Amino acid sequence: MIMKNGNSLPREIAPGIFWLGDCLEQQHKGMTYHSYNAAFLLTGNESSILIETGHPKDFPEIERQMVEILSHDQPPLKHLFITHQETPHSGGLGRVLQNWPNITVHGDVADYHLAFPNHKSQLKNMEVGDKIDIGGRQLIAVEPVIRDLRTSLWAFDTGANTLFPGDGFAYSHYHWDGHCGRVAEEAESLDLKDVLAVFAERALYWTTTTDMNIYVDKLEELMDELKVEIVAPTHGLPVTDLAATMPKVREGLISEGNVNT
Amino acid sequence: MSVSSVTELVAGKVYALHNTFELNGKISAYPEKARGFSPANCYLLIDEKAAMLLDTGYTAHEGAILEQLDSLLDREMPLSIFPLRINEFMSVCNTMAIAKRFNVVECFSNVPNIEEWVEFETLRGEERNPILKTTLVGRGEQSQVFLGEKRKISVLTAPIRLISTRWIYDESSKILFSSDMFSHIWSDFENSPWQIGNNETDPVTDFKFVRSYLLNTRYWWIEGAHTKPIRNAIDDIYTRFNIQTIAPGYGTILRGRNHVVNQFKVLDEVLEKLDRQHILPAYVPRGLER
Repeated sequence: MIMKNGNSLPREIAPGIFWLGDCLEQQHKGMTYHSYNAAFLLTGNESSILIETGHPKDFPEIERQMVEILSHDQPPLKHLFITHQETPHSGGLGRVLQNWPNITVHGDVADYHLAFPNHKSQLKNMEVGDKIDIGGRQLIAVEPVIRDLRTSLWAFDTGANTLFPGDGFAYSHYHWDGHCGRVAEEAESLDLKDVLAVFAERALYWTTTTDMNIYVDKLEELMDELKVEIVAPTHGLPVTDLAATMPKVREGLISEGNVNT
Repeated sequence: MSVSSVTELVAGKVYALHNTFELNGKISAYPEKARGFSPANCYLLIDEKAAMLLDTGYTAHEGAILEQLDSLLDREMPLSIFPLRINEFMSVCNTMAIAKRFNVVECFSNVPNIEEWVEFETLRGEERNPILKTTLVGRGEQSQVFLGEKRKISVLTAPIRLISTRWIYDESSKILFSSDMFSHIWSDFENSPWQIGNNETDPVTDFKFVRSYLLNTRYWWIEGAHTKPIRNAIDDIYTRFNIQTIAPGYGTILRGRNHVVNQFKVLDEVLEKLDRQHILPAYVPRGLER
């Protein structure tokens, strides 16, 4: 793990998958929480792909982390995949393309021609099932089970069976208890019911209004179908032991759906 | 291509800055199958000694928006910026560009340090962006800010929302600025007037159209949800404020009480029928058209 200025990232969470970014402080009901607006660098045998661009505030740090990783005999960055059009996920698109001007941008590319008009020729639209081959592994666009904008997409890496669910698994963590830079299973005091609520109030309001059993069932179905082994969420801590953590995720998400019952 | 136009809503007080985009399946705020044109609308509120801009528009419209502002505003006039959805490009893309040309004295936000949320370019060499002063607005249902010394601007947590969203009510003009709600009237023509007067006919608003619009845009999740708390919150705003005009962030402005009454009535009917009491929730796959 490389530490700089108190930041625990980047961290390689699986072979060829680097977790990038830095924490964002959030106030919620008198408490200070941290959360991530992470990006992930996925390296294949022939090329690398950046998944998400991170929050605008984090881009200089993410850029530094990427340059450092790519300088260590990694294949060149050729692609950017973005889950959806909110700025904490895609706000760095222009800055990534300023630094790596020849890469292509993938996902549901709605709106980016208006937000980043100088780069519209590099936008490559994807639908569920479309693939990007980076040599030895593929990134596949998959159904975005828990999402906000209708134009969301998730991605699945066949190399390490890792799901990149964007706003799915959106939860904060406890800076005060040393969770920053840890995976979910290492953050022993993490109360998923508590930290899922922070995001539900701020970003995923709809999850408080509906029966989340339906969405959790579908999520588990998708994860079984894909044989997911690792979850790399944009906002939450990565999940590396599904058997241990998924029951807690289910409990937390379902309790959100009961807020307004 | 894009068509730019300005609508004077109240002379000297409220202007809509329209900049159009094509509806071609590639606009997240509209149904995938919608075709035609619609504008992104920023709103400029002007008082004697200060002005406020609601949303800053897309980068593709940067030049046009700066020209529109130049045509309405002295560059020295103290200007505050209020992005109604801090996470969405339409609200924040041009914040820095506007701050470079105009006298931006503050940005209203529900997050601290707004400059960390609106920086979309890598600065080179000696290049520096203006420092933006953030004025935090509360997370409660309602708060108030003032434009100039007396003009009361009510800041409302959007009662129906996908992401963090604010509605604004300007008591002086009796206009509700509704961000991504009531944005369902677009046009086959790029140079449409983008407003419907009190005695003009609303060409589309009815139960079926509004229901479909909600379910095929950012309210894809609302069928089978608990809509009663949402309906109550919408009704509270409708009852408390004397709304005479609805000014959405996209699409056509609705002017006059007749339209206001009809819009809220149809929305309430749709939400009532979508409630879990009437229809059970089911998983909604991406791209499902309803």
